[in-house]
Amino acid sequence: MSETFPWLSVSILFPIAGSLVVPFIPDKGEGKQVRWFALGIALVTFLITVAAYLKGYDPSQEGLQLSERLNWLPDLGLSWAVGADGLSMPLILLTSFITALAVLAAWPVSFKPKLFFFLLLAMDGGQIAVFAVQDMLLFFLAWELELLPVYLLLAIWGGKKRQYAATKFIIYTAGSSIFILLAALAMGFFGEGPPNFEYTHLAQQNFGTGFQVLCYTGLLIAFGVKLPIVPLHTWLPDAHGEATAPVHMLLAGILLKMGGYALLRFNAQLLPEAHAQFAPLLIVLGVVNIIYAALTSFAQRNLKRKIAYSSISHMGFVLIGIGSFSALGTSGAMLQMISHGLIGASLFFLVGATYDRTHTLQLDEMGGVGQKMRIMFALWTVCALASLALPGMSGFVSELMVFAGFVTDEVYTLPFRIVMAGFAAIGVILTPIYLLSMLREIFFGKENSKLSAETNLIDAEPREVYIISCLLVPIIGIGLYPRLMTDSYKASIEALVERDLNSINRLNRVSNSPVNNTKLIPAFASNPKYTFPILKS
Amino acid sequence: MIASAEIAWLIPVLPLLGAVVTGLGLISFNRTINRLRKPVAITLITCLGISAVLSYAVLAEQLSGSPPVEHLFIWASAGDFTLPMGYLIDPLGAVMLALVTTIALLVMIYSHGYMAHDKGYVRFFTYLALFSSSMLGLIISPNLLEIYVFWELVGMCSYLLVGFWYDREGAAHAAQKAFVVNRVGDFGLLLGILGLFWATQSFDFQGIAEGLASAISAGTIPIWAALTLCLLVFMGPMAKSAQFPLHVWLPDAMEGPTPISALIHAATMVAAGVFLVARLEPLYSQFPIVGFVIAVVGTITCFLGASIALTQMDLKKGLAYSTVSQLGYMMLAMGCGAPVAGMFHLVTHAFFKAMLFLGSGSVIHAMEDVVGHEPILAQDMRLMGGLRKKMPITAVTFFIGCIAISGIPPLAGFWSKDEILGQAFNTFPFLWLIGFMTAGMTAFYMFRLYFLTFEGNFRGEDQEIQAQLLASAGKLTDEDLHHHDSGVLHESPWSMTFPLAVLALPSVLIGLLGTPWNSKFVNFLNPDEAKEMIEIFNWSEFLTLAGASVAISSAGITLAVMAYYLNRIDLGKSIAARFPTINSFLINKWYLDDINEKLFVQGSRKLAREVLEVDAKVVDGVVNLTGLLTLGSGEGLKYFETGRAQFYALIVFGGVIALVVLFGVLGATPPA
Repeated sequence: MSETFPWLSVSILFPIAGSLVVPFIPDKGEGKQVRWFALGIALVTFLITVAAYLKGYDPSQEGLQLSERLNWLPDLGLSWAVGADGLSMPLILLTSFITALAVLAAWPVSFKPKLFFFLLLAMDGGQIAVFAVQDMLLFFLAWELELLPVYLLLAIWGGKKRQYAATKFIIYTAGSSIFILLAALAMGFFGEGPPNFEYTHLAQQNFGTGFQVLCYTGLLIAFGVKLPIVPLHTWLPDAHGEATAPVHMLLAGILLKMGGYALLRFNAQLLPEAHAQFAPLLIVLGVVNIIYAALTSFAQRNLKRKIAYSSISHMGFVLIGIGSFSALGTSGAMLQMISHGLIGASLFFLVGATYDRTHTLQLDEMGGVGQKMRIMFALWTVCALASLALPGMSGFVSELMVFAGFVTDEVYTLPFRIVMAGFAAIGVILTPIYLLSMLREIFFGKENSKLSAETNLIDAEPREVYIISCLLVPIIGIGLYPRLMTDSYKASIEALVERDLNSINRLNRVSNSPVNNTKLIPAFASNPKYTFPILKS
Repeated sequence: MIASAEIAWLIPVLPLLGAVVTGLGLISFNRTINRLRKPVAITLITCLGISAVLSYAVLAEQLSGSPPVEHLFIWASAGDFTLPMGYLIDPLGAVMLALVTTIALLVMIYSHGYMAHDKGYVRFFTYLALFSSSMLGLIISPNLLEIYVFWELVGMCSYLLVGFWYDREGAAHAAQKAFVVNRVGDFGLLLGILGLFWATQSFDFQGIAEGLASAISAGTIPIWAALTLCLLVFMGPMAKSAQFPLHVWLPDAMEGPTPISALIHAATMVAAGVFLVARLEPLYSQFPIVGFVIAVVGTITCFLGASIALTQMDLKKGLAYSTVSQLGYMMLAMGCGAPVAGMFHLVTHAFFKAMLFLGSGSVIHAMEDVVGHEPILAQDMRLMGGLRKKMPITAVTFFIGCIAISGIPPLAGFWSKDEILGQAFNTFPFLWLIGFMTAGMTAFYMFRLYFLTFEGNFRGEDQEIQAQLLASAGKLTDEDLHHHDSGVLHESPWSMTFPLAVLALPSVLIGLLGTPWNSKFVNFLNPDEAKEMIEIFNWSEFLTLAGASVAISSAGITLAVMAYYLNRIDLGKSIAARFPTINSFLINKWYLDDINEKLFVQGSRKLAREVLEVDAKVVDGVVNLTGLLTLGSGEGLKYFETGRAQFYALIVFGGVIALVVLFGVLGATPPA
């Protein structure tokens, strides 16, 4: 039955169908029934995706699996094509996992609970769709569809500046996603025959280099907003700063990964020649992300915004990995997405849980709460250590893979690698500075008499401990034995990187440029118009 | 019967299991577990005890001549990259295993007494077990990357334990400082490891050394790159083993509970850097210049630590700077190409320094009954004195430690320090001279500590000095600090004196394993070197150098006796008052902390604030401006149409036009 059962369609449609039932759940308005229902749906969705992984997915294959195809609007070339390969499958699992935990994290939501859980479930389906669809037009639809719930979740349940944050979010993302549509149309209508937007079709097209570069630029902007890439990031601290904890978990855990996934899927996979031109830029941007966001995070006095900037900093490693042209580095980027999805979600959940107690996010007003909230302190410490890439946890492995992949990669010249790796490694120093001083400012010190008197500083309750434990199990599991995760996408990543490497070689052959074999002298790649002198032939 | 090396992986795993179980228990059933003090302590001590037994079995096996054992599995792979992890048992590792488990076990027993009244008793034991596990893992790591993994983990444990009393402001800062300074070293270590991997495609010690040698001879790696990589890797040991200028974290780390200072910040973790350099000997021995740099760094550290220790008034800080100084000796040995001598000093130092620290803990424990739980009072020697009569066991063991570290034969420190000085004399005579003078300083400051603490009259009840100390530390005299006044000085309980007594034994005797004419230690770690040593051993040279060492140590001790026991000389007047610059230079710890604070701490804060300014004003400013403009156009549009679809259409339209224009400009029509 595993061959024929439409696992992916079910995992997309089931939570959406579930969300449609939410308004009809008998509930007295406090959300007590609805939340159980939502949790059930989210858990079943998670189980469906797990079953899909176990029954229909073979990690040793590089190609598309679990494929389903249905012509939807043949005139438009739009088809319902879903499938999963190594790039999508781990992220699909991550999505359904984080969403289930987010529903549990949303337990205390009592303001318009029906709408809230409706949106959470709808988002679940939408996000799985983003990772599962195999048609670029459909991808665009799914991408846009997921914006609406986020907008509403921000605008209705957010903090004081929620309108501003939500508007900024929607303008940023909706505005930039126009480029996806443009690129999709351009790529779909390319060449002879009826328009066709399926990835498999697009991958076989022989786009010219100029065309690729144009599409690549547009997509880079669109996905760069999402990831985010400095300087396109300023929606994120506002959105994250205003979101409630469950929304926060979804934003950090999944939404940012859509950017990284799409960069791999479209930019690196479908536009390999442009990728060869842009990759050095990605590396530079990645390094900028790491250092710039780490510094801003250090200076931030607002806890949520601090963690938000730390997310941006961690996404820098994804960029370096994607630009590294090595299987190791790209695997590292993929693992960093998953790892940050887990770690980011846990940190943001803890921020929410702490705020529920202190009623302030200003670090100046905190301090010394560790006396009353010991378990909370312990959970915070573990998650902060995970975030600063402590060995034994997933963040370390992914950052190490990115570093090792980039440094040993012979595509770039040695000076470029030295400088970039050196700067990126400064992040190794900066990250503990801001995370540990954050811990110190929240928890260390004499008991905070003001907060203790004014607020009820109760320690973590079992539900909260449970959520963090659920996130820590894979974090530590991957940290101890990374192949648990990396083996599930190894084949796909290797195929992708090989394709990209081939395109570099092809570029060199076409231009008949003299192949430069000396290791240490900067060499130009073939097409001087678009190249950076740091790419080596 | 299976060979114990085959199950050596259990050595770090057992304490880890214990730590994980109690840790999970603490998070899930905090109150219950916190009440189960004895059972938890017994469980964890048993876990570590079994590890210790195993370690000794492994050591015995290696001593009887078994070959090294290595087991690997593939931990991570991508593309053609594979990364094996596993464990390696060889003589060097076996020695360290036995050393670490012994001291960790004794410290655990000691902690039962020292932490008896602490709320965090169970948490403390959990951290201790976790640390032991990480440290043991580090020792049996077969490659650089696995060492890095455990390297970071011991750093984390150090962070947790320094910040153990998290209500103390000082502990919070010290913990963070320790972690961050170590990360600065790890920055270099990580880059070095990556670079060496790039150069040699290998992470394991032998592979790196051979790979680099052949790459240099083949010309694929320039010599400057190889040197840079070696020095980058050395940054890790510099931070971990508190070498100048990255030593600044270690004295501050004394904010942690004293058993931790003994175990982590004197005997084991700080020695990890020395251990790593010893592991990398095949690599470093290829580059004499790297050896020279290591030797110079070691010598500077050695001198700096001893000079600052001269003026310290805080008992633990004095010992801490002494540790810095002794670590410098070990590095000096490494730099002289004598890793075995360095390792020998590591072993002897671990025993007597652990004993000294535990002794200071015993003193502090007693002082707290008199002056209260304020470290500024309980650790200051101006309030001590005359403790020998009240605490005989502590005093005797501390005295033994002082003789051992001062290098008086036949105690442990003499043999190991003399071995290092002998090596330095033959390799870098100038560095020998500094190391030689430092030996005299060592003897002086150690006996200064001893006399101020244990001899003379007890000054603990002097309210005036107390008030002065508190005022100079910027703390107001707190009324509730004095509620302990009625306490009486007394010797510590058996759980604390027993480890002291046990440690006294190796402090006296273990040096005899390393006598230069028949060094069993060298013979075990490096038989070839031992043969060579016996061949070149020369009584007259040995006696001259040893005689000189003993003479300068005796001079130091005599000075201390005159100044602090017989009170014949007032050093404060005769030296400190005459050379105020030098005195304040030493009291202010060479001003290194101030420089760090001004340059790095304030500097990075300022930079971060400026970047945030830019982010908020410039980057986000542009966005908000654009937002305002579009909002303006949207406001205008709203009168013609309503909703967002139009906004979309506008952008689509604009985008298409832009695309057309771009295509026109670039002339890049897509080829069919």
